[in-house]
Amino acid sequence: MTRLKEVRKPLSAILLLSLSFLHAEGPRPTLPPDQRTNGKHTLTAVEKLKPLTIACSARIESLLGRAICAATIVGEDGYVLIKASEVPDLGKVHIKFGDGRITDLREVHRETRLDLVLAQAVGATGLRAVSFGAARSLTMGQWLCSVAETGKEPRIGTVSARIRRIPGTGAALGIRMAEKSAVGDKGVRIIGIASESPAEAAGLQENDVLLSIASETVGQFRQVHDIVNKRQPGDVIEVRYLRKDKEETCRVRLASRTKVLQNWEGEDFANGGISLRTDNFPEVLQHDIPLLPTDMGGPVATLEGKVVGINIARVDRVTTFALPVEAFWTEAQQWIQADRHPPKAVLAQ
Amino acid sequence: MLSLCISLPRRAATILVVLKIIAASALAASGSDKSAAPKTDIASLLQVQSDVQKLLPQVRLALVAIQTGGGTASGVIISPDGLLLTAAHVPGGPGKDMRIILEDGSMTTAKSLGLDKTTDAALAQLKKRDKPWPFVNLSREVIKAQPGEWCFALGHPGGFDKSRGPVLRVGKIVKQTANSLHTDCVLMGGDSGGPLFNFQGEVIGIHSQIWENRDQNVHVSMAPFLRSWEAMQKSQVIKTWGIGAGGYLGVATRMSDDAELEVADVIDGSPAQKAGIHAGDVIVGLNGSAMTDQPQFTATVRARAAGDTILLKLRSSGKERIVSVKLAQKPQEEGQ
Repeated sequence: MTRLKEVRKPLSAILLLSLSFLHAEGPRPTLPPDQRTNGKHTLTAVEKLKPLTIACSARIESLLGRAICAATIVGEDGYVLIKASEVPDLGKVHIKFGDGRITDLREVHRETRLDLVLAQAVGATGLRAVSFGAARSLTMGQWLCSVAETGKEPRIGTVSARIRRIPGTGAALGIRMAEKSAVGDKGVRIIGIASESPAEAAGLQENDVLLSIASETVGQFRQVHDIVNKRQPGDVIEVRYLRKDKEETCRVRLASRTKVLQNWEGEDFANGGISLRTDNFPEVLQHDIPLLPTDMGGPVATLEGKVVGINIARVDRVTTFALPVEAFWTEAQQWIQADRHPPKAVLAQ
Repeated sequence: MLSLCISLPRRAATILVVLKIIAASALAASGSDKSAAPKTDIASLLQVQSDVQKLLPQVRLALVAIQTGGGTASGVIISPDGLLLTAAHVPGGPGKDMRIILEDGSMTTAKSLGLDKTTDAALAQLKKRDKPWPFVNLSREVIKAQPGEWCFALGHPGGFDKSRGPVLRVGKIVKQTANSLHTDCVLMGGDSGGPLFNFQGEVIGIHSQIWENRDQNVHVSMAPFLRSWEAMQKSQVIKTWGIGAGGYLGVATRMSDDAELEVADVIDGSPAQKAGIHAGDVIVGLNGSAMTDQPQFTATVRARAAGDTILLKLRSSGKERIVSVKLAQKPQEEGQ
């Protein structure tokens, strides 16, 4: 669209051009990286907030130790909140705390509407829980501090737009399909795959013929739409398909439709990745802290150290959404209470 | 140490590259000196926050979203009669009709005037003139902006979104060149043409390009806007900017034994020679600012355009004098 959006392909050209200009321009004073907005020098300002932010977060890892996302500690006895669509199965991940302790997670309550899951780190005690402040009163330009680099380092940024609701656009695979059935009245041929999409990640290719999705046989592209539309970003579906006359299956994790459509050709090259689910939130606080999708689930705090939200989606190069505390904390406290004090068993009548 | 504050034919340019490394290491050293200075604290960040929040309610009214056939972008109103600044790649040519969405979501129209395709600067005019438009001032002193100064960007990344409104980014100036400012205010598609502000609430840059890193965001500075103003108001298109990336003086400098900035050589036929500058003159100041080292002098000269007049304070044989020099177009390399 604008040059900023077109910048992907001619990138190397622009870069080279600019380097050759450097010869002509001579030395220009350049701000060293450590003095930039998120450089070491500037970040010393928020060093003393570490016990209120970094110490109250943890890292969710795959069983092999790969970073998946962050978690916010909300109870000294091991309760944590995590971005739900990043962890469909808590049995396949563990939690690692700042002091190096690693434990399993027990799912307590999953709230798809908020994209949050409340879990308890099994056997963990004496943790430091966040202290929540208020988010709805914050205005644009207010500094915020968050946790990055798999929970080790702080990053700063400001509230960058209005608090608002983000409507949902449904889930998508990231494929274009042929209008006619592939084999008689059976199968739907894939005629295009979006860059970095769920379909691409699962290994689907152009010319593969979809036979069934989530155990439902498909013969028309509309059926595929209907099945995918019923689901949420982050959901995993099984796809059975035909490649070179051989039947195969794969599992695909769906992403937000907006994410897939906006990034069809990989326009998001200059961002560092986006979250699978980027929309359908009742309320978000938007900020410009430079974070990665693996930083989602961590706390976001004011410079007074009050946590005002939980990072919930990395959306594009300039946008991160956080769920403001008012959107989840009253409910989450009830989930914790109910879990700590389960109703006594009642004798069957 | 010999350094040339101009671009020279190839043989000399090679020397410049070697010297650049020395200059860069000198810069890096001065950078680490600065980090020994008091570190940023929460109070200074809160001051930045309060400054931005004070300016925001008034400057955001001058931000507009621009819709052209090719996509969506941003712009900023800089006069009560509705003159708009944007990036040249937004209209693409003069006399183009553009749909404008104001900050509150109301719609109006504008026509593009002239543009400078070499620097990505463009002017446009809002068509309605029945009442004064909300506007912001532009900075006429942009060359004074220093790396490390705080600034903030506004725009409509991804296009106009009524429920979201304009998007703010607060950051620092990373570098200034003759025509551009580089900042760590992160930009993306749709921001093109939007304003970069200093803490006086003046426009210092117009969003233009990004590179892959989040710290690589390029804005057209006000310098080419001011330079090409008359041509752009007449709806002219500047395609090749004959005067290159900055003004040409034509002296080589070195640091003397007394650590003063000294003219080492004067190029034949250069503006410096015509103005009577000689090898051995000590360069004391430029337009009233003290000159102390080569990188500073080079950057100061090159931040000005060909045609600009500078006042150099020089000293020779114990006597100070002020020389007025009109910077020229840099000599073209033969065969190019």
